[in-house]
Formats: sequence, structure tokens, C-alpha cells
Amino acid sequence: MTATPDPLRIVIAEDAAIMRDGLTQTLTRRGHDVVAAVADAEALRQAVDEYRPDVAVIDVRMPPTHTDEGLRAAQAIHKDHPRVGVLVFSQYIETESAAELFASAPAGVGYLLKDRVADVSDFVDAITRVAHGGTVLDPEVVRQLLTASRRGDTLAALTPREREVLSLIAQGRSNAAIAGTLFISPKVVEKYVANIFDKLGLAPDDNDNRRVIAALRYLES
Amino acid sequence: MNTAVNAWLRDHPWQADGLLAAALFVVTVPQLGAGQASVAARAAYVVVTVLLAGSVIPRRRYPVAAFAVAAVIAAAQIVFGVETGGQAQVFALQPTNADLAILVLLYTLAAYRPRPVSIAGLVLCLLGSAAAITRWSPAHGPHPADALFAAVAGVGGLTLAAWVLGDSVAYRYRRAYYASLEDRAARLEAERDAQARVAAAAERARELQERRARAVDESAARLRRIERDLHDGAQVRLAALAMTLGEIKENLEQSSGDDRTLALAGAAHQNAKDTLAELRDLARGIHPPVLDRGLGPALGILAGTSAIPVGLTVALTERPSPAIEAMAYFCAAELLANATKHSGARRVNIGVREQDSGLVMSVTDDGDGGARLVPGGGLAGLRERVQTVDGRLEIDSPSGGPTIITIELPRHA
Repeated sequence: MTATPDPLRIVIAEDAAIMRDGLTQTLTRRGHDVVAAVADAEALRQAVDEYRPDVAVIDVRMPPTHTDEGLRAAQAIHKDHPRVGVLVFSQYIETESAAELFASAPAGVGYLLKDRVADVSDFVDAITRVAHGGTVLDPEVVRQLLTASRRGDTLAALTPREREVLSLIAQGRSNAAIAGTLFISPKVVEKYVANIFDKLGLAPDDNDNRRVIAALRYLES
Repeated sequence: MNTAVNAWLRDHPWQADGLLAAALFVVTVPQLGAGQASVAARAAYVVVTVLLAGSVIPRRRYPVAAFAVAAVIAAAQIVFGVETGGQAQVFALQPTNADLAILVLLYTLAAYRPRPVSIAGLVLCLLGSAAAITRWSPAHGPHPADALFAAVAGVGGLTLAAWVLGDSVAYRYRRAYYASLEDRAARLEAERDAQARVAAAAERARELQERRARAVDESAARLRRIERDLHDGAQVRLAALAMTLGEIKENLEQSSGDDRTLALAGAAHQNAKDTLAELRDLARGIHPPVLDRGLGPALGILAGTSAIPVGLTVALTERPSPAIEAMAYFCAAELLANATKHSGARRVNIGVREQDSGLVMSVTDDGDGGARLVPGGGLAGLRERVQTVDGRLEIDSPSGGPTIITIELPRHA
């Protein structure tokens, strides 16, 4: 495979050997450095402490209880090592878990459905974005959050198009990527983004932060 | 009429015996006026007669005492009152018709007291009769044999007859008493049998309840195991397969050429992804893994993925058993789906709280109402499911809404 210009140092935590090996091989083939591939949360914490990777890819369900060890470990790692990106992937979408994960500071945090590994390039791309401090939210989470009209209050003011843009922001897309996805010009995207920030009452001080906070409104409202 | 009189006599022993005493006194009245005596003697005679006649009044309550009173008076009459060829020594103690009271009392003794007592009474009576007859003046007259024979036959016969009559009544009483004892014993035994059967049935019910609880728990645990096996096995392998197919597809896309192989790889990749999604839905339908974290988080996810807004309040201090949590979750899921599909509701509220020995879950929607329990329908299925653990499902859904469905479940199966 082609060597990536910017190889990442990655820790993988996944209790199923076949998945762990598959991810390791895939990422290695793409020029990344899988410094450790472990099978439980305890080993994950040790590996992160030892290697300080750019990103940890973590399965939610791991031994011993097979419930949400991965999620807890990801939160702890994110707190102790803010520079280590954490990408949690789960068999099922659990919006509450996602909200918990994104609650503190969503920079360098990702939450994806396990199925996304099938689209290898997108998955590796998501890992890269998280490693670089970006935010990745599974489209399914966003879809659920948008269909659940319980969040009417905060987001009621947004037009459908603005919601669409916001959902893409929540997925960690740049303005350029959003423009490409929606087949509109970057200028128009900027206008939408400005409108969204305005309607959500976000002061124009720090652009990146505002994107993150806007994305969070999905999870919090 | 006759039976009414009998019943009255039976139910009012004191009054009945009072009447008897009065009758004895009345039949004596002609004697009280006969002969020549002073007013004082006559008064004494009346007193003795009243005592004699009155002795029958308490006969049923105090048979021995009553008999003793009459016997003492009779003895006094024999000694002081029987005329031996002339005038009675004591006017007041002449034998009277009221002496019949002794026969009544002997009868009473035989009827109400054990045989030895009544036989003693009988012997006393016969001795008294004999004494009276020997002192009786005709026994000393011209034809003593005839008179004696008549007196013995009369007095002795009457005495014996009174005793035999009483004794036969006592015999009947005893028989009835024994029969009632036997009857009571039989009834007690039947009652004991019934109690034993009830206890056995209760024991059996408890046993079945425990067995059912075990079966429900085992079934829930088995479903959970199946989901975990799917997660650890087929789902992981399929995800790895989809990942490999994805890589193959991407490689083919990059290395130009074989479009047919690329199309095949693309189809295989898509198939793998679709199967993965189907398998996920299937596994979640078997046992949503989030249930392992509790009913609250599981319902939270359900609410979060609902198409209509859901208000959720879960107030549980203690987790129910996994089987009960699963049951409550699946009920909520189905009721929420019903509300979304059929009711036209704009909002659903799900509340779970504790109640006595279990939990109550109410699912309320502001839709059109009119939800009914139709045999074979979804609600009927839910109710059947809930009833397997002695739970209850109630529907309050007036036409026009709102619909409130309340489910009560025990904490354990």
C-alpha cells in the first residue's frame, strides 16, 4: 500500500482476535504504526500510558463484563491524556453513550458504528481526523438525534438546510467537505455556519471551538 | 300443632317443668281439703305438697338433688304420714297425689344420670315402696294378700316403668351422643385431610412458581448468551469479512482494469454490510446489550431513537432481575412502536417506578385513543407475556385519547 505522508501511532483495543488482527493489518498496510493491539481495558490503559499514541481505537464491549468497559476507558484516557485521540466503535449506536463521551471536550473524540470498518478508507480517514484532534460522530447517531424531535428547543430555530449543515459539522467535516457533500459553494456553507452560530448564540471568538460546541448541542439538547 | 307444642316444651324446660309441678299440685288440691285438721296442719300440708310438686321444676338441671328432696319428703311421709290402721300421725305428711313427683324424678334420674346412680335411685324407690306398703293399713286388714299384691304390682310396676322409660331415653341419648362423637371425629378427620390437601397444593404451587421463575430466568439468560455469542462470533467475523471485501474493492478501484471483478467485489461488500446491519437488528431484538447496564439506560436509548418525542422517568432504587428488565424493555419498545404507528400521538411519556413488591411502568400517549385488546393482537401478546410472571397489563384508552397503558411486574419472576 501507499505510505501515508503522516503515519500515525495507534493503539487498538478489541477483544475479538479476528477483528483486532484485521484492523492491525489494514492500518499497517496503509503505513500507520500500530504500536499495541490489546484485548481489554486494563491492557489498553497500560499501552496508552506506555506509548502515548496519536489515537486509540477502542471497542465498547470488552471483558470482563462486556458492557461499556471501552467507553469508560476512553473517557479516562481522554481525561488523562488530552492529546491522545480516542475513537470508540460500537456494535450498536447508543446516543447516551455518545453524549457521555462528547460531554467533556469533544476534540480528538470519535464514536462510530462497528459496521463502518467495512468502508475501510472512510474508517481510516475517521481515525486520522480523531488523531488530529477532530471530532467524528457516526452519521447514524446524528440521524437519530435529528429524528428524535425531543431536541426541539435549542435547534427549533434552525432551517432544515442549517440542520443538515450542523449534522455534518457534528460529524467533524470541514466547510470544504460540507460544500462537497451538499453540492454547494464554500461561501454558502460559510453563510449557513454563521447563521447556525448566530442562532445558537455562539460568540465569534474561536472558530474551531464554536464548531465543537455547535456539534455538542445535538448531544446535549 | 303437636310438633309445635313439643318444640316449645323442648326449648323451654323450666316453664315445662313448672307446668308439670303445677299439674301435680292441682291433682293434689282435693286431698288438701279432705279430712279434719287444724288450719296450721293444713297449711303445713300445703307446704309439703308444694315442695313435693315443686321438686320437679329443677329436675333436668339438678336431677340428683331434686330426687333427694322428694326422697327425703317421701321417707318422712312413710315414717310419719302413712296411716297404720288409723289416723295419720302427722297430718301434713300424709301421702298425696304429688308423690307422683318421685316417679317423674326417678325417670329423670334414669334419663339424665349414669346407670349406677339411677339404679341406686330405683332401689331406694322400691325399698321406700316396700316400706310404705308394709306400713299401709290395708296390709293389716282382712285380705292382706290381695291388697299387698295390688299395691306391690301397682307401686312397683309404676316405679320400674318410670325407671325403664328414663333408662331407654338415656340409652337413646347415649346412642345419639356416641353417634355425634363419631360424626365429629369423622368430620375432624375429613377436615385434616382437606387441610393436608390444601397444604400439599400450596407446596406444589410454590414449587411450580419457583420452577417457572427458574425457567423465565434461564430463558432470559439464554437469550443474552445467544446475543453475546452472535456479537463475539458471527458479527465479528462478518465485520472482518466486510472489512476485507472493502479493501479488495478499494484495491480493485485503484488498480484499473477488471470492471466485472470490481462489480462483483462491490456487490459482495454491499451484501456483507447489509447482512451485518440485519444481524445487528436481529441480535438487538434478541437482547439489547444496553440492558446489561440497566432498564434506565436501555429505555433511554429507546427514547433517544424514537421518531416522536419521549419523556422518560425511571425511578428505581434496586434493579429488577434481568428477565424482568428485558420484559419491561420489550413491552416499552412495542408500546412505543404502537403509539408511533397507530395513535397519531405527538408525545409519549414512559414512567417506571417502584411499587410494593415490584415495579409499575406506564406508557402514556396523547394520540387518538381507542386502543383495544384484540385476541391475537399486539396488546394481547404483551399481556400474555406479562402474565407469565404474574404481572398485569391494563389499558385505559378512551376514544379521543389519551392512552395510558400500565404494566405491573414483580421484581423477580
